[in-house]
Amino acid sequence: MEKLDIPQGTLDLMILTILSRAPMHGYGITERLTVLSQDHFRVNPGSLFPSLYRLEQDGKLKAEWRATENNRRAKYYRLTASGKRQLEQHLERWNRVSFAVTSVLEGA
Amino acid sequence: MKLLHRLVSVMGWITRRDVAEKDLNDELQAFIDMAAADEVRSGTTEAEARRRAALRLGGLEQAKEHVRSGRHGAWLDIVGRDLRYGLRQIRRDPAFSAIVIATLALGIGVNTAMFSAVDAVLIKSLPYADPDRLVMIWNQSTREGAPKFFTSPPEWKEWRRLNTVFTDIAATQPGDVSLSNDGEPETLPGRKVTGNLWSVLGVRPLLGRVFTEEEDVTGTRVVVISHGLWQRRFGASPTVVGRTILLNDKPYEVVGVMPREFYFLPTRDIDVWMPASFSPDLLKSWGWTDVVSVGRLKPGVTARQAGDAMAALNLRVSAEHVKPPRSAVVSSVREDLVGKTSTSLIVLLGAAGAVLLIACVNVANLLLSRGESRRREVAMRAALGASRGRLIAQFLIESLTLSGLGAIAGVALAWPAMQFLERLVPETMGVRQLAFDWRVLTFSVVIALTAGVIFGLAPAVRGAVFALQERLHDGGRGHAGGRSHVFQHALIVIETALAVALLTTGGVLLQTFQQLRQLDLGLRGDHLLTFVTPLFRYRTFDERVAFVNAELERIRAIPGVVQAGGISQIPLTVKDQSTFYLLSAQDGSEAREQVALSRVVTRDYFSTIGASLREGRFFDVSDVRSDAPSAVVNETFASKHFPGRSPVGERVKFGRLGAQGYWYSIVGVVNEIRERGVAEDLRPAIYRLHEQADQTNDHPSGFVVRTAVPPASMITAVREAIWSLDKHQPVARVQTIEDIVIRQLSVPTQNTVLLGAFALLALTLAALGLYGVLSYAVAQRTSEIGVRMALGASGREILLSFGARGLALTLGGLLIGVALALSAARLITTLLYGFEPNYTGVLAAVSGVLIAVAMLASFVPARRASRVDPMIALRQE
Repeated sequence: MEKLDIPQGTLDLMILTILSRAPMHGYGITERLTVLSQDHFRVNPGSLFPSLYRLEQDGKLKAEWRATENNRRAKYYRLTASGKRQLEQHLERWNRVSFAVTSVLEGA
Repeated sequence: MKLLHRLVSVMGWITRRDVAEKDLNDELQAFIDMAAADEVRSGTTEAEARRRAALRLGGLEQAKEHVRSGRHGAWLDIVGRDLRYGLRQIRRDPAFSAIVIATLALGIGVNTAMFSAVDAVLIKSLPYADPDRLVMIWNQSTREGAPKFFTSPPEWKEWRRLNTVFTDIAATQPGDVSLSNDGEPETLPGRKVTGNLWSVLGVRPLLGRVFTEEEDVTGTRVVVISHGLWQRRFGASPTVVGRTILLNDKPYEVVGVMPREFYFLPTRDIDVWMPASFSPDLLKSWGWTDVVSVGRLKPGVTARQAGDAMAALNLRVSAEHVKPPRSAVVSSVREDLVGKTSTSLIVLLGAAGAVLLIACVNVANLLLSRGESRRREVAMRAALGASRGRLIAQFLIESLTLSGLGAIAGVALAWPAMQFLERLVPETMGVRQLAFDWRVLTFSVVIALTAGVIFGLAPAVRGAVFALQERLHDGGRGHAGGRSHVFQHALIVIETALAVALLTTGGVLLQTFQQLRQLDLGLRGDHLLTFVTPLFRYRTFDERVAFVNAELERIRAIPGVVQAGGISQIPLTVKDQSTFYLLSAQDGSEAREQVALSRVVTRDYFSTIGASLREGRFFDVSDVRSDAPSAVVNETFASKHFPGRSPVGERVKFGRLGAQGYWYSIVGVVNEIRERGVAEDLRPAIYRLHEQADQTNDHPSGFVVRTAVPPASMITAVREAIWSLDKHQPVARVQTIEDIVIRQLSVPTQNTVLLGAFALLALTLAALGLYGVLSYAVAQRTSEIGVRMALGASGREILLSFGARGLALTLGGLLIGVALALSAARLITTLLYGFEPNYTGVLAAVSGVLIAVAMLASFVPARRASRVDPMIALRQE
């Protein structure tokens, strides 16, 4: 199946949402994204990691090295308090945007 | 909060770079591992799994680059990396870097030093309150092209009373005085100033107070002294205020000391300021023009409006007293302080700028040439994910690193140069030292940055564009496209043109300088000592004549003295001191218009200085005090009034003494003596014998002594001879005529030396540039040359083809340079002292030198090309 491009600005939102469930490493995030999007999205690591680093720099995420279930070492990201706030704000805005877009499309 | 967080994070990234890089590397590696492990689980072989995982990452290095450049503060990181990369490049090729940095250091150093002089003279604020609101007010005759002139006391008074454009106008008059308290008697440069000068200028004393208008009007004997005099003569004692000192034998109370930085027109060396206390008579003397006036503009009034208003006002108020009435002009204080020097400075700064431009062009050429050999490296970086912008930025940072190092070396070079340039500061100005202040440093930084961009941009853009076009497939062999040579050739033409313009201008200045040196001064300058003994202690005419004659007698008696004479103004030093006069054939009205220099001399003056007689005779013993005295005139006077015939026997009357004035008979014509200064215009002059000059105040307080030994060795003996006659007599301004000439020529000397040095620098750089480009072309085209020679071209043909290219470039530069120089000619006219420059001669010389140098610079590489061994060249393929 052909993959969709991730719409501008929604990658951060999706990363934050995934991490709000549980801390996760980069590879795990790409996998979850693929699964959750039912294989419509596949995020390129070249886009994922810059986003992760930027969110970390902004204090939305906190990273630490931990062992994985398969006994590898990986860098786990988790949401900070400020990250949670950002997620709520973005989510609220996203809901409004999608509601608005849907309304327009259905009403036209 | 967010900002702080980011800042900490950025700092962390920068300071713990190694940790952060390792972290990133580990994380991406972990990604690959996990992805590969998943693939293996689903049945792929280990090797294939890893390959796919790496593919998914899209290249480990590119992914890292994405993360790095996506971070906040990434640019800082990139700049830092490029900086280190640049420094590594510089270390890798130290000879190349040294040449580039030295070239830039020369350019930046020369400009920094020149700018420090421009800053000190033209930019630095003057030591007055709101200096931009101060203007000088001058008198001007309504004659066409008349120069501005000093004001008279009544004009000052009327202007002050009637003007509507100034809040106030102050005036100052010459007032050199002799100080004779304790220690050796000495003459101090002084000014008599109106009591409002201080408030008009807006200055305060360092110690004590300034005097008041009331003290000025009532003629109170108070004096304000300079910081220099206070230090030198009074040991910087705070108790000097309130002390009484003897000036011209009269007691004055010191009321204040001015701060070190205070000075005002006409020179910076004034030591005492006394109340002008214009007498009622002086306030009616419209012909007494020795007053300098300065006014403070009312708020909202421009200098131009003030000038118009003052011109109209003076035409009106002077109409009743002088015919024709006088106009007035205003000028900025700085304009009068700086005078001609501003032209010199601007021309020199322009020349320095041209040198810097040539340096930049040279460096650009060097970088372009080197860029060719670095194409492979650049292509590699492009392949590793560097964008065009990143590559350009990297090249620019490299060139800025070079220019930064050049700037540091340049500032170090500028330091000694500034000591030399201090002599460019006009003597009128209080600035004695050139200093590195923030303006000068800013200037250096700005020109270094500009230079870095100028010489870095072309190579950067070219390098980046090529890299992206070619990638790696062009095995890195340099085949320079035709366009690159056109560009480099254009650069050579530009720098040659600039060098030619500088050489031509320098040549014209040198020509002028030689003409100045060869000017006939009208006297024999060697072995002539001069000094001044102010005669204020001798009040009557007879006392003065007797004292001067006694002084001359004592001086002549000193062993080693050949001859001695007296004159009212030391030759070559005083521009004015003139008088109105009337010829017997004229009616009275002309006396108001014609002015001649007036000099009073002793009998032996002309023979002492070695002046020569054109006709008639000099003064002799037959000239005794009478009401039918004699006069000697100069050639300018004779040819002005008696063209083609002899003035001997004609009569001339002085000033406006009317019927009581003596008629002087002209007895001789002296060949022009440059009384006003070496480089000054000639004016009509009238010489009178001191014993016959009882109707005016001029008296021969200046002395010239012809010695058989070096004149400086006679100074002590001369002083003692005079003090043996009167131990309170000051002996001032002791100097030799040769000193005077050297000092007067110091400005043209300096201009010539500096511009000459800049021109030579430019020529050297241009020659190096030509040499570099041709050498590079030869090196690059060795195989092509080999092929041509294998096909039968002779070494001579190859030599000629490269030589011809060098010559063509040089000729192109020469033509443009000549055009540049000729269009700059108008700018330098004030530096030519009225001499007509002979451009043909200079241009011929410049062309000769340039072509010779260019031939040499192209011959060496061309010869190298002609000696290429075809076998070896082709084997290099």
